[in-house]
Amino acid sequence: MIAIGLEGSANKLGVGVILQPAKGGPAQILSNIRHTYVSPPGEGFLPKDTAKHHRAYVSTLVKRALAEAGVRLEDIDCICYTKGPGMGAPLQSVAVAARTLSLLWNKPLVGVNHCVGHIEMGREITGATNPVVLYVSGGNTQVIAYSSQRYRIFGEALDIAVGNCLDRFARTLNISNDPAPGYNIEQLAKRGKVLLDLPYAVKGMDCSFSGILARVDELAAQMRAGTLKDPVTGDAVTPEDLCFSLQETVYAMLVEITERAMAHVGSSQVLIVGGVGCNERLQEMMGIMAKDRGGSVYATDERFCIDNGIMIAHAGLLAYRTGFATALEESTCTQRFRTDDVHIAWRED
Amino acid sequence: MISTTSIPQREAQPFLPYPFTETQPPPHLVTQGAEALLYRTHFLTPSTAAALKARPSKPYRHPTLDARLTKQRVLAEARVLVKLSALASDPDNEVKVPAVFNLEWDAARKINGLTEDQRGARRTTAAGAWLLMEWIEGKSVKDLLREWDSWFMATGSTASPEEVQAQVEAVKRLLRRIGRAVGALHSKGGVVHGDLTTSNIMVRPATNSSTSNGSAAPTIDENAQADDMPARPPNFEGEIVLIDFGLATQSVQDEDRAVDLYVLERAFGSTHPRQEGQFDAEVLQSQEGYRGSYKGANVVLKRLEEVRLRGRKKSMIG
Amino acid sequence: MLQPIHLAHTPADLTLYVAVYREVENASSLKQQLLAGNTEFEYAFIDASMILSTKQALAAVFRAINDYLNHRLKSRNIHSEIVFCLSPNNNIGEAFRRFGVSDATKDLLVIKVATTPDVTLESVGRHLSTHVQGQESPFDDATFRATADLDRIRKVYKISSLAPKATGRKPSTTSNGIPNGENMDATKNLEVQILGLMALRGAT
Repeated sequence: MIAIGLEGSANKLGVGVILQPAKGGPAQILSNIRHTYVSPPGEGFLPKDTAKHHRAYVSTLVKRALAEAGVRLEDIDCICYTKGPGMGAPLQSVAVAARTLSLLWNKPLVGVNHCVGHIEMGREITGATNPVVLYVSGGNTQVIAYSSQRYRIFGEALDIAVGNCLDRFARTLNISNDPAPGYNIEQLAKRGKVLLDLPYAVKGMDCSFSGILARVDELAAQMRAGTLKDPVTGDAVTPEDLCFSLQETVYAMLVEITERAMAHVGSSQVLIVGGVGCNERLQEMMGIMAKDRGGSVYATDERFCIDNGIMIAHAGLLAYRTGFATALEESTCTQRFRTDDVHIAWRED
Repeated sequence: MISTTSIPQREAQPFLPYPFTETQPPPHLVTQGAEALLYRTHFLTPSTAAALKARPSKPYRHPTLDARLTKQRVLAEARVLVKLSALASDPDNEVKVPAVFNLEWDAARKINGLTEDQRGARRTTAAGAWLLMEWIEGKSVKDLLREWDSWFMATGSTASPEEVQAQVEAVKRLLRRIGRAVGALHSKGGVVHGDLTTSNIMVRPATNSSTSNGSAAPTIDENAQADDMPARPPNFEGEIVLIDFGLATQSVQDEDRAVDLYVLERAFGSTHPRQEGQFDAEVLQSQEGYRGSYKGANVVLKRLEEVRLRGRKKSMIG
Repeated sequence: MLQPIHLAHTPADLTLYVAVYREVENASSLKQQLLAGNTEFEYAFIDASMILSTKQALAAVFRAINDYLNHRLKSRNIHSEIVFCLSPNNNIGEAFRRFGVSDATKDLLVIKVATTPDVTLESVGRHLSTHVQGQESPFDDATFRATADLDRIRKVYKISSLAPKATGRKPSTTSNGIPNGENMDATKNLEVQILGLMALRGAT
């Protein structure tokens, strides 16, 4: 069976076509195309401009995705789109496109939870069967484990998401948003040497990032004023050092809450999904922790970590095959949509 | 193509910090959590049983950050315990906690100048902090309630209604005492536990002399009773002792106290479905439970209602 | 009465030799030897009035040995460190004034750690019996019940002896040395608090 998926909950517009063999076996990615709205340095992406970007590119991307996949319209079983969570205006513009295609092609719609899309795609690509999932992106920070047909949230960020913390610090430092602010922070951090004390805010399996952001912003201001020195050597602290300190601190927090969840549910597998999951230092730290516990870490590369259409197609098709579809009248979208609200009918373990 | 897998292989030996590598008989590993390992051992002489909580260094994090966090946490736990133990001189005190015997907070220390023999063959390369505490004899409330359940299942139908009623009352009394102990922790102690579960609440049987003279021989056979058909219901007599303050904080905020109760309520509900219905009435609302334990309890219980409604149903923006 | 003790968790060859002397007559000359840095007198000379129980004394030794094994003694040697480890704060001079032997010391606790093989029960016994003038007493809690100055101990460790007044209860006045049940509890509570304060000394 074949599905097309449309994703646009944040600044990436993605369209993908997936084939799931009826007899089972690994899914085939027929196409997976993305176009990103990049805001100028020092600025975040605003809902209005992002929605405009998505509207401008969606028909081109759909055409390219179909052409690249080499499928005929009649081969497509359903049209999957991101129902939420995400930013309102971009979600709506993509939902309108999905509805239009549904009417135009006379195909059923499947509304998909964005987070579940990440988890299912991660499981499919890595082969992790029942991992603890760390879902980290610009909008979400969750530690998730599956139990009785739900992805249950064991821990989460109590304020801003980790990706949001990194993105906003990139703005403070006026770092380019191309290809992504987090990617550019990671490159700078590789050259950082000094570890500065930042708040470390873990409460059980939950964590918080706003205090860290406020502190590192303060340190950046001191650095620009030339008053920030390495406490050990007395050398001036660099933007690289700040990025290094920020990464080391927030990723240690993420690995810690993940480890606590693994101990809690007795799992030794961990799957990292979401845009921040591309970060190699995070993957490395998670790998060391997992190895210590006699387990392993599963991560995907930027094609699947960063928001994409194929994961929406994949999760949507899994649901569709259990008999789920979204009626046109109900094909709304929502900014708030909990991961644990979704009935995972396709898993029976 | 993308997955990075490693061969599942645990470190051969669980972390045991120096100098306990020297200890005879070797410390007995009781539980292993994400942060810490709990051993049963002894202090000064084999006749004083002790709990050793070892916090290994975490190799995934930067050594400076690791040393800072490990130190902060072992110190926070020890400070809370010492603070609470100071309440013991109050004759009305109802918060009993393990005594702190000794601790090591310098996680990154180097043990120089010892021969390989002196270090002991079991010493792992990783350093870490540790906390040596009084060993609490007795059983956890979790085990006691589970024993009660087995008694009820086995003999509850044949016992007289009066006998069953008497045992139900005994459970209720235990629950109210738990409520009082938590109330005293919050009010007199100024501490929120952070991880209240029925595993972390112990009932220590009264001994003639209250000095800790428990034998250090590991009592691993605690489950043995569960196998025998429990002809008699468990004995709840003894003092309530709260343990495992690894996530505790010093706070007098209503919100923190309410969340503390909420954590206990959820853990209780999922662990003891048979007694879940009694939790609110006995632990929380009874005048001999939390509500009656201090003046500000009413406000905290009001706050708890809000916390329950909010629960974990916090909505996220994508 | 000199007693060899091996403390749990410490290397097998680190034996302690412990003795208590009551009615000591030459405390000031012992103190002089220490001040003069006479290596013949490398002992922990502790004023026994500051000791509540054997556990308190041995806990200080345990911490001192652990710090010794970790190469981070704050004072001159393991014996001065034992005196320092009794203290609830980081002031070494104050620790010696409070816990160490003084001219006024009547009851003396002596501890020697065998850091070298030539330190034996015989060598320590011979040396002490020659140089300490006092009555030997057993190293046990009964001795310390007789020698402890509870008020001063409470003061030094800043531990209040009274129950909170709010309840309007009678304060639990304890007279020294009589081991009735209530006093056993009070002593036990005091000991627990002292162990905690000693363990946390220097934590920042």
